[in-house]
Amino acid sequence: MSNFEERLLAALEDEITTRTAGNEMTMTTPARRRYAGLSAAVAGVAAATTAVVMLTSGSPAFAVTTSADGTINVRISEFRDPEGLEAELGRAGVKAVVDYLPEGQTCKGPRGERGSATGQFQSSVGKDGGGIWFTIEKGQVPAGETLVLAVSKSSGGDDQAPFATSLEIVKGTVSDCEAIPMPAPDMRDGGGMQSGTGEDGPILHSRTEGSAPGPHTDTNGQDPAPTVTSQSG
Amino acid sequence: MRLNEDPAAFKAFYLRHVDAVMRFVARRVSDPHLAADLTADIFLAAVDSAHTYVPGRGSEIGWLYGVARNVVSAQQRKTAREARASSRVAGRRLMDDDDLVRMEERIDAERRMRGALEAMRGLPEGERAVLELIAIDQLTITEAAKALGIRQVTARVRLHRARRALGPVASPTTVYVEGQA
Repeated sequence: MSNFEERLLAALEDEITTRTAGNEMTMTTPARRRYAGLSAAVAGVAAATTAVVMLTSGSPAFAVTTSADGTINVRISEFRDPEGLEAELGRAGVKAVVDYLPEGQTCKGPRGERGSATGQFQSSVGKDGGGIWFTIEKGQVPAGETLVLAVSKSSGGDDQAPFATSLEIVKGTVSDCEAIPMPAPDMRDGGGMQSGTGEDGPILHSRTEGSAPGPHTDTNGQDPAPTVTSQSG
Repeated sequence: MRLNEDPAAFKAFYLRHVDAVMRFVARRVSDPHLAADLTADIFLAAVDSAHTYVPGRGSEIGWLYGVARNVVSAQQRKTAREARASSRVAGRRLMDDDDLVRMEERIDAERRMRGALEAMRGLPEGERAVLELIAIDQLTITEAAKALGIRQVTARVRLHRARRALGPVASPTTVYVEGQA
């Protein structure tokens, strides 16, 4: 169920998160094109979930909204239909590859060359009633680059908070997702990740400044680059 | 308050007040789309000015209504186009058909209050503002004073003058909530 009040809350939360990061995008000319179809095959495990586009209740698994300033807000309430999300992001001008994997599995990295995003990159992955949301700034995923999202689902179900989430931007070709077991949890510390769990679950903010090492949010902590802070709810 | 830093605090704040804010807006505008935009704008303005909130002097709702008044009157001074261009979250775009119907119902429900607001237009601004918040928005004197950034005694004096000037319009029972202050 969703109504204006809930959607407004989501949009406001996204706006606040974006602003909290002191976002200063220097990119221009956002990719404004129709989704052209992705040849990238989805991993077998994820493909199995693609048959259902929408529940008969009419509750979508995800929502992609574009703000007046070009910011794209993405909310995923259920981790199914990754191709539908790819298509929806494509309609919003962002080429995307989305994979949903079983708990404890992730895609083998790297999936391709690092994106070219300069300036500040900010994405937020927060738990929201079991789902996640994140924000893509205008121009953050320019033409020729791809937003790559891999979610290790909860064994509790598609609508449960994910086990881990990885979000990165890849330049050029994106390799198919090769599902591998996730590294041991203690690697999180090596990745500079701290996560707090409160009433509303963990909320993770990741921000990377400058062109190197490039945007990368990875709750799996494979990459030591991002500066990650966390707030418990 | 750390509304802009603490997502959980913002969510709680929003859930506490969203209904009151929507009613506040519905009493002042008759366009449901504009009402949705203003609701979004008010919460964003609240986040922007969260540092101005001092707990203890009047309530949170008094402070929020002060913010809401500023947002609504700023909007009324601007053209619709300007207002929309400056809005970072376009509330109207978040409404589906059901929401639109509900917003129209809200606006309908507040018709009588909008009529009363209309009747107050002749009052001096300072007096009108106090009466508006107390008679229409049902704030206490303390809260209204907080919303307007004036002292309680000033609010009380202005309310008295406004009531005397207006008589019949300002005499519904809602005016007599000052006992709670």
